[in-house]
Amino acid sequence: MSTWRPTPSLVRASLLALGGLAGGVVGGLDVLVVLAAPFVILAGMGLAGRPRHLPTVSTRIDHHRLHEGQGTTSRLVVDDLAGVEHATRVAGPAPHVATRPTYGAAGSLVDAGLPLIEFSPRRWGRRAIGAERVGLTSAWAGWQWGPVDMPEHGLSVLPQTAPYDSRAEVPQPDGLVGRHRSRRIGSGTEFEGIRHFASGDRLRRITWPVSLRTGELHVVTTRAEQDAGVWLVVDGLRDIGRSGGIDGAASTLDLTVRAAAALAEHHVRTGDRVGLLVVAADPSRVPLGSGPRHLQRIHAVLARIRTEGRSVAPERLDLGAGAGSVVHVLSPMLFTPLVTATASLQRSGASVVVIDTWGERDPGTDRLAWASLAARMQKIERDDRLDRLAALGCPVVPWRGPGTLDTVLQQLARRARVPKVRAR
Amino acid sequence: MSVLDRVLPPGLTSGGLVLRVVLALLPCAALALALPEVPHLVVTTMVVACSVRWAVTPDHPAGAAALMLVAAWWAVHDVVDWRVLVVAVLLLAAHLVATLLAHGPAALPVDPRLAGLWLRRALLALVPMPVAWLAVRGLDAELAPSWLWIVVALVLGVLLVLTSRILVPEAE
Repeated sequence: MSTWRPTPSLVRASLLALGGLAGGVVGGLDVLVVLAAPFVILAGMGLAGRPRHLPTVSTRIDHHRLHEGQGTTSRLVVDDLAGVEHATRVAGPAPHVATRPTYGAAGSLVDAGLPLIEFSPRRWGRRAIGAERVGLTSAWAGWQWGPVDMPEHGLSVLPQTAPYDSRAEVPQPDGLVGRHRSRRIGSGTEFEGIRHFASGDRLRRITWPVSLRTGELHVVTTRAEQDAGVWLVVDGLRDIGRSGGIDGAASTLDLTVRAAAALAEHHVRTGDRVGLLVVAADPSRVPLGSGPRHLQRIHAVLARIRTEGRSVAPERLDLGAGAGSVVHVLSPMLFTPLVTATASLQRSGASVVVIDTWGERDPGTDRLAWASLAARMQKIERDDRLDRLAALGCPVVPWRGPGTLDTVLQQLARRARVPKVRAR
Repeated sequence: MSVLDRVLPPGLTSGGLVLRVVLALLPCAALALALPEVPHLVVTTMVVACSVRWAVTPDHPAGAAALMLVAAWWAVHDVVDWRVLVVAVLLLAAHLVATLLAHGPAALPVDPRLAGLWLRRALLALVPMPVAWLAVRGLDAELAPSWLWIVVALVLGVLLVLTSRILVPEAE
């Protein structure tokens, strides 16, 4: 526990005052009295301003869960400010966290309010902010309390919800109600056709213009609207590239996580049921669900993803997904076992789309450097894996944000409507 | 990254840099007022070195050493003319600039409200200085009553006790 200690300023003023007066009186050096006179005032006022109580200081932050790029404020809480004139706070640097003031140092007179420090996480994940040192100074800078280390606060940083929208239908909606056009005829709003009236048809379905023109009753038929089960498989095995946070370059894991967050939000907003499978050293699985709370759960799981060198790709993806589900595999596809698992999933009847999250990588200026050579070899192997996946009928699309999946989902939907011949 | 960026502490504000330069110059200027009489080389060197060290770390004891060296030089040469007043102002300014800078690390911007507060305090602290100067120039110590010296001795004793108290660190 810290106590009130004299500041170097008070020690200096006291030494000068005492030395000057002593030298003037004892040594007969009159000039010293003149030079020491101002310091007598400063030393006296500083000594008299010692606070009587030891303060209890803590810090708190306004939010414990944020999205990338959002900000929160760290506030200083002092129980007793009697005798305190100035407060200083210095926050330590934290990776991928921006602070305001830039270097995390803030100070102010207590009369003007205790100093604030703003933190803004620039990358998703678990962040520790608020590790700082706090110091208080009494009136006339006579006494100081601290600096005292304050404990840090854990902050869960959810991935940024990148703007994403898709007008494509999910190929095989299999739920009860939703926004996607079903393959079955039902009581939806999507026009399917006009046919002769049959017993059992509802009267409000009769199309009077056609009935009057033809002389026979005709009804409008519509398609039912259903929701779909969408699985997001997130590859958290490796993180290639340097992450510059939300303001800079994105690593492969950045792209993967942000794309997964955007897709999850889009499908939940559409009314679909969304599930998540994280393939990483610490794998996690979120079953199918819908609604805002489910979306928050998915974002929280995404924010916890960490890569480790020892993590290995699984032999199969255990989703429990039915034939009607759509599976988005978000991965830079750096591991052959993951490619095999994806192909197995495709063969099991699910509509699988691989979203390539390799992104744009700088090949480097020196083509003969070891790193550059290794990157090229890795790219050749990766392209080969993706080609084999595409040959199996599994579409591979690079992540481009809005509209990334429109074309491929429309093709899958058409493919799903084609009659299939199955050998027994 | 320029050479200046490598030498200066990270985050040092322009206001902080200016104040540190001023802090390094003030004790030197107080000694330079003696010109054309040139102080001894050892004194000059020590004052400059202590001032620079003080400017780098405003909390450092080198600051007290620089101020004491300058004050001692003027006291030893027994100069009681107008220059003593200027020297006193310069030493006080150096002390207050260091106090202002010592409120936080180099990255802490100088608070204008705090600077204004210390400017007012500096003006208040300067009040006894001309009084002391006039007393030194106009009063004859041999004519002073004997009780005056007893009072001065008592004040000195109290100050000695207080100073010794603050110099001994308290057990935490």
